[in-house]
Amino acid sequence: MEESPLERVRRDIYLRNIIRIGLSFVLLLVAVVVLLPLFRGEGPHVAGPAGLAGEPAPVFAMQDDTGGQVSLNHYRGKVVLMNLWATWCPPCRAELPDLQSLYAANASRGFVVIGVDQGESAQRTRIFARSLGVRFPIWLDRDQAYGRAYAALGLPTTVIIDRQGRIVRGFDGALTAEQMREAVKPLFLHT
Amino acid sequence: MIVVAIAGAVLVEAVIPDRAVFHTAWYNVALLALVVWLGVRTRAQLRTSAGGRRGASILALALGAAILAFAGIANGLLAPDPQTIVGAPGQQVEVNDLGGALAFPQIDPLRLSSASRQPVPIALVRGGRNPVTPASKGYIGSFILRSIPRAVVGIDAHDASGAHLTITQPTGAVFLSPILMMESAQQISGLTLPYDSFALPAAHRIVKVVLFSAQQVAALRGIPGPPQPGVLLAVDDDTDAPIPHAIAFAHSGQSVSVGNVRLQPEVFIYPAVEIISAPSLPALVIGCVLIAGGLLAGFRADVKSA
Repeated sequence: MEESPLERVRRDIYLRNIIRIGLSFVLLLVAVVVLLPLFRGEGPHVAGPAGLAGEPAPVFAMQDDTGGQVSLNHYRGKVVLMNLWATWCPPCRAELPDLQSLYAANASRGFVVIGVDQGESAQRTRIFARSLGVRFPIWLDRDQAYGRAYAALGLPTTVIIDRQGRIVRGFDGALTAEQMREAVKPLFLHT
Repeated sequence: MIVVAIAGAVLVEAVIPDRAVFHTAWYNVALLALVVWLGVRTRAQLRTSAGGRRGASILALALGAAILAFAGIANGLLAPDPQTIVGAPGQQVEVNDLGGALAFPQIDPLRLSSASRQPVPIALVRGGRNPVTPASKGYIGSFILRSIPRAVVGIDAHDASGAHLTITQPTGAVFLSPILMMESAQQISGLTLPYDSFALPAAHRIVKVVLFSAQQVAALRGIPGPPQPGVLLAVDDDTDAPIPHAIAFAHSGQSVSVGNVRLQPEVFIYPAVEIISAPSLPALVIGCVLIAGGLLAGFRADVKSA
């Protein structure tokens, strides 16, 4: 059966509408693809220690205050509280006795505190820490590698690392004894 | 002809995206004028064509050129200007435009060997995807990354008794770092020189550092030794107490006593990343495919009619 002129006109109009809708859709898609990446907002920024949660903790080979070779790999399977500090920093000094108490109370549960001195000599660090009764490991970060990797905004800086070596939380500034306990408590639930 | 002009203008923008001309108003208005002209010509040609392959060819060419032009204009008017991201070794800098963080590799600033003077690769880390190294030009979304070598200064500091000292950068991008990224500039005797500063909290010192290249050192009078990069060190007390012998010049690797501290600067090359916006790659591909399809359809229509 042959198509009537009216039907042909209708079919043409229908096809043109389909083409128009198709073209509009393609153009809209291209507009989204082109424009979306240009409106992401915010400029470059550094996350800081609090923004490192979920990241694997960086591992650097360094020396402790007795001259021994140490690295975070030796503590895999333990909950680690890593505290960046220096002898000239008053809030660090105030925090050390509380860290020692936390360490003494939880060492048997697979918990360790590591004090990472930023850039100072072994002798100064050792004498200072022992005068405050500190018994947890003291590392010497001569190159301040952890200070850079954790994007520390000041001292002290505290980072909590789980048994798999992942950063769980990061803190700028001194913590109270209560804050320290609360920060590590969830990690003991998964022993 | 108009299609060729548009395609040429936008593809040049993709190949050499760092030219400022692509972000000027006149360039983008000219591109827009070409699109309007193309629209008028296309409409007229579609009316006179008998449809079929010829019509499809005209439509595909116009649509492809329009998509290219749109990508070019969006990049020219809306994309951010080129920016240089400077990061300290070991630092991760979040860049939302790239949908991830630039991871600047760690180096040992105090024991720089000749091997560590080689360029070190920076990686773009994005959740769940393999890291990308922008050592060579490459598209990341609508941006092209380029690694730029920069001179930076690592500092080793001791007090008068020989005890090693913590270095902090209260005004720097990274607080706890002995590596100065030298992002500021200082004018000295008509020269614009990289400048930075750091603090030695345990010794109550603030040190300003001005970097001289080997050529600039060679041109200085009264500096003995081989022409190699060096730094001018100016030491202040953080309580503003006067300090004798508070200014010194040190070649890279040379240890000097200044302001009651001993400082050893090491000048080395460390990369930064330049981020340059470019026309969207998917849009370029779609536009080029449409134009190629249009040309092919036009060629086949010509063959058929002949």
